[in-house]
Amino acid sequence: MIKFSNVCFAYEKTNILDNINFSINKGEFVAIVGRNGAGKTTLMKLFNGLLKPTSGNVNIANLDTKISKTSELAKHVGFLFQNPDRQICQNTVKAEIAFGLKCVLTDKGEIEKRCKDTMARFGLIGEKDPFSLSRGERQKVALASIIALSPKILVLDEPTTGLDYKECMHIMEIINELNQNGTTVIMVCHDMELVADFAQRVIVLGEGNILADASCKKVMVDADVLRSASLAPPQIAELAIRLGEDFEGILTLDEMTDKIESRCLS
Amino acid sequence: MIEFKNFSFKYKKSEKNALSGVNLSIKKGDFIGIIGNSGAGKSTFTYAINGVIPHHFEGDFYGEVIVKGSDTVDSSPSELSLNVGSVFQDIDGQMVSSVVEDEILFGLENFGIPHDEIEQRVTDILKMVGIEDLRYRNISTLSGGQKQKVAISAVVALMPDILVLDEPTAELDPQSSLQIFNMLRMLNEKMGITIIVVEQKIMLLSEFAKRLLIINDGSIYLDGAPQEVLKDTVALKQIGVNCPRVASLANNLSERKIYNGAVPINIVEAETMVRSVIK
Repeated sequence: MIKFSNVCFAYEKTNILDNINFSINKGEFVAIVGRNGAGKTTLMKLFNGLLKPTSGNVNIANLDTKISKTSELAKHVGFLFQNPDRQICQNTVKAEIAFGLKCVLTDKGEIEKRCKDTMARFGLIGEKDPFSLSRGERQKVALASIIALSPKILVLDEPTTGLDYKECMHIMEIINELNQNGTTVIMVCHDMELVADFAQRVIVLGEGNILADASCKKVMVDADVLRSASLAPPQIAELAIRLGEDFEGILTLDEMTDKIESRCLS
Repeated sequence: MIEFKNFSFKYKKSEKNALSGVNLSIKKGDFIGIIGNSGAGKSTFTYAINGVIPHHFEGDFYGEVIVKGSDTVDSSPSELSLNVGSVFQDIDGQMVSSVVEDEILFGLENFGIPHDEIEQRVTDILKMVGIEDLRYRNISTLSGGQKQKVAISAVVALMPDILVLDEPTAELDPQSSLQIFNMLRMLNEKMGITIIVVEQKIMLLSEFAKRLLIINDGSIYLDGAPQEVLKDTVALKQIGVNCPRVASLANNLSERKIYNGAVPINIVEAETMVRSVIK
């Protein structure tokens, strides 16, 4: 579905990404992590052709991003920017959601229906001005306008920045549900607790290179990799390490609760 | 240092109070963490301290807020800003200069600090915060964490007694967020500055704050030492505020009738808890 082959990227003379190689299959949920300045946002922009590789190839749904139009790629890839205010461009929530739909659909009834469904799903009020809403609500509007297009691939650059816990969980539940229904999700995220809860696979970036590309379970207990990327493991993973071998591989609260219960019963 | 007496505030055009019935006092040298959902009234609380309310936002102001012995309603914004330094979430929004040194000088010159004192203040603050090497850098070339350090330094150079910060780490990675909190702790311990910080990262608050306020739906919901407040995992869950995972673990275990002791808020305490229940 997605393939990066020998991808290098440089802004003028500054190398940002150096020989990146990976493939992502349909339906995967991949987290991309690394410190500020590691090249995460640059990598994300290569997914939808906003940036083209300086050398190497990026293939998305059998399209080479170097020679495909961004509008063509946008039919496959939904892209959520870190800051919703860079994305929102309409005066009402409904117009914002309809904006993308009007670019790909002509049937007015179908556009209306999709708008309605999407607003209901996100609990949004169509008449509101997006800029009168809180940061979390604006983030929801931006995400809703992308989901309305039902893209096969969802690329999210720190979707939960600036959100409170409730808003954060709501957004993540929607993303998780889409993933369960077959949408491929690629997400940059600083919050290791969220990564542990939702991602199956983690790609760790550092200084423009891939430091690790493995299952979430493996990366979260790899102290060397985490340290080199200035990341802290989730609390539960750290606790599991302290508790010893029998708790190996436990990352989430539910897993830990079940494990302790089984140790009490046995 | 700060007294809230029956304080309530309703923004003009708003139908209900942003904050209601706040009664509390904040001691000199305290380190207060504030958490709550968006729209709960956290920013309003900080605005009441730095005088943005009622001097910038209009509305109905009830009760009193006393900062260093003066009623904020009667104090001018410039008097208040000498006592209370403010740092906002939007880092770029509060920068006024293009070079780090100028950013620090801006406040000092505007507040009429004597000319022969200024150089010393600039050198001291940069040294204390550990960003001497950034002095002549262009702000646009700095990372988010570096920029936030500069923003805080520019405010601290004015030697305020109180520092109010509204989600200063929202845009920062975990490493930079930790550095900012280490910096706040240093300012609190070495300079005795009273810190009041709104923050969503509960792990940082549980480690650094001496007192934690949870604001929910316009009122103070919980108020106490982090060890006490975070133990109330049931109450926190009810209003949808995050708590450390190990505290939630204790809650899960108690629901399954495995554990009913003290709630841990860090890894070491959690390990002790688990070892006490497993065979």
